[in-house]
Amino acid sequence: MFIWLAGAVGALLQLPARAQSFGPSGTTTLSVTVGPEASISIATATSALATTGTGFNNAFTGGTTFTYKIRSTKTGGTGSIGVEVTSDFSPGSGPSVASPPTAGDALSYTCTVATPATACTGSQTASTTAVTPVATFGADAHSAMGGNTGSLNWALTDDPKYGTGTYTATVTFTISAA
Amino acid sequence: MGAPTRHRIVSCVTAAIAAFCQPARCDSITVTQSVSAELAPAAKLSVPASVPLTASGAAFQPFSGTLTLSFRVRSSSAGGGAITLQTTSDFSPSGGPSAAGGALTYLCSNGTLGTPCTGRQTAGTGAQSSVLTIPPAACTGGGGACSASNPNSIQVYFSLENDSGTATGNYAAQITFVISAI
Repeated sequence: MFIWLAGAVGALLQLPARAQSFGPSGTTTLSVTVGPEASISIATATSALATTGTGFNNAFTGGTTFTYKIRSTKTGGTGSIGVEVTSDFSPGSGPSVASPPTAGDALSYTCTVATPATACTGSQTASTTAVTPVATFGADAHSAMGGNTGSLNWALTDDPKYGTGTYTATVTFTISAA
Repeated sequence: MGAPTRHRIVSCVTAAIAAFCQPARCDSITVTQSVSAELAPAAKLSVPASVPLTASGAAFQPFSGTLTLSFRVRSSSAGGGAITLQTTSDFSPSGGPSAAGGALTYLCSNGTLGTPCTGRQTAGTGAQSSVLTIPPAACTGGGGACSASNPNSIQVYFSLENDSGTATGNYAAQITFVISAI
């Protein structure tokens, strides 16, 4: 009988451990990994290019304004903003980025971008086959939480070979952070 | 041994047995007693050791994570109780998010006993904030007047502001939950 009783007590002591620990209070650790991120918003849905003269001396000009947000990696991080003409001017018989009616015709731009960006220098020529620079960022670059602003000032050659009419191209902005 | 000697031995044994089986040792007695227990209010909770906050995938959208808190409670008929939380250790290392700055908020939902907090709350460092209100005469488990589930639970949905001004890296904060009942 003694042996049976000891075995019963031993069996009772072999209770499975509870997974949870209950008490009047409990503490949990919240953890988060903050990585590089970037986003851009174009304020000007359609940038109208217009000329101020009538003698083909002045290019068609206009501007595009945008807001960017960026966080680049603290050590060794980088970032950039670029543009590409993803849809050339249409309809035909007008300006063209890929195949201008006259050699030298171009859609070009200059950049103004608030820090922490480094804006592109001088006039850049837009392309339908490559991303062209707007701004670059270094390591540990941080925009304001609401974003920082930038703008491109466009210039399109006024070639007499363009037929009269309205022509539209699509320009795509790309921002990245690493 | 002759018969008279055997008779004396039997008599002695009988007398010895009679000496041990006194009337008190051989009678059965029934005693009744009233037992009462006064149950005081009580409350205990359990939380997971850690909760990761993850990005949604869209740039600069808040980080979020969900915690399920388990609890057992007994409140008096004239009392009640509460579960609260407080950021007891802000995000570290420095350069990261700040609960003291209001970057960490939460919602409460799916409580199996009591009333979850209403609306988005701020998980600050300066004071405890509400998670759950426990009504009077609340009790965990058993059904009937008590809750069906044991333990009870509530979910807390954390949201952490994804500020572009925060440096990249890994950060951690500690949140302490407290339960009380009266």
